[in-house]
Amino acid sequence: MSEHDFHPRVKQLLDGDLTLADLPPELRAEGEEALRLLAAVDRRPVAFPTMTERVMLAVNTRPSPAGWRRMLEPREIRLRIRPWVLAPALALAAALIIWIAGPRTAAPAPSLVTVRFVLVAPEAKAVSLAGTFNQWDARATPLVRTGPNGTWTATLTLPAGQHQYAFVVDGVRWVPDPGAPAVDDGFGRRNSVLTL
Amino acid sequence: MIASLVALPLTLLSLQQGIAQRLAGRVSPNVAAAVEGTGTAASARGLPVDPLIQKAIEGGAKGIADDRVIAAVNLVVSHLDTAAAALREGGASADTLTIAAGAFAVSAGLNGSDITALARVGATPAALTVGLRVAGTLAALGVPPAENIGLVSVSLRSGKPTADLLLLPASVESEVAKGSTPAAAAAGLSRAAAAQGRHGPPPGHGQPPHPPTPSHP
Repeated sequence: MSEHDFHPRVKQLLDGDLTLADLPPELRAEGEEALRLLAAVDRRPVAFPTMTERVMLAVNTRPSPAGWRRMLEPREIRLRIRPWVLAPALALAAALIIWIAGPRTAAPAPSLVTVRFVLVAPEAKAVSLAGTFNQWDARATPLVRTGPNGTWTATLTLPAGQHQYAFVVDGVRWVPDPGAPAVDDGFGRRNSVLTL
Repeated sequence: MIASLVALPLTLLSLQQGIAQRLAGRVSPNVAAAVEGTGTAASARGLPVDPLIQKAIEGGAKGIADDRVIAAVNLVVSHLDTAAAALREGGASADTLTIAAGAFAVSAGLNGSDITALARVGATPAALTVGLRVAGTLAALGVPPAENIGLVSVSLRSGKPTADLLLLPASVESEVAKGSTPAAAAAGLSRAAAAQGRHGPPPGHGQPPHPPTPSHP
């Protein structure tokens, strides 16, 4: 009997058809030995090397040039850090990190809302809109006269959020929107409020 | 540490330059210098700088005298400080958007205690920011603080989408147009929202209610 030529009952044990207790006493030692050998076998599935592994295997087996070999050989490196030399570079790096991380992470893109502004001002020759959305520029957003009764309108697409504004009549008179809530502007006048 | 010591002045310099650039040609050099100083100090306290710049630009556009513009900017800083302290008191994480929203609510007539009460609802920072803006808008509509905070609190607790929260001022205006007072309109809406919260939102609407308000020391 060769080393792996087991008794048929032991083979049934290996196939899982029998347990060790099912074996007659004279075969139990052989059964235990068979199970021990089976447990020692590497049961990992066979894997063919991928393209990357094949390429890396080829690279690793290729002899390295002397310069590369010297660079790849482990050796002790000692760094002497002089803070006064590194400080400007570190400061620049820190400033860049603050600059890069600050505004970009703090300001997610707001959604946009289209709003129609209306003012009835029959006597007005020009009406415009100034507010937080256009840097309070009284010339940036003119309203259009849309009817014979002096109705002025403008349609804007604004970011969601809270805006304050006022109409500017004939370039000089700041008028709050009569159809919107208003708050004190800090200068003795009222700003209209738009919350989107 | 050395990097931080060098980076800090660089950052402050960058902030001042940013303020100066935004104010260039819009306000007098006096106002610009005052806002640069105030803004730098405010930023160091974690306050947003944009409301200060906006107020200065607004003053310049309206032709307001320098001293009054500077006074108005300082008032904005005061509102921001009040809002930031109130939010901290309420246990809310105070990002600059939330602080600015709180400052707007203060400028509209609410006080620090009102802001703290809203912060204690335990809403998300985004929802709290919208809640503060809406509370400020309701205050501008004439809703008294008690009814205002009651309505916004119950709406925040309901966990409804913020879009629903934004409809509150229009709902109050609608009730006022029918003859109700702002206080009665807000109280009525608050009762309706609370009742809906007890019975749950209609099928297919709203979100699960918020977890209970965390306790505060």
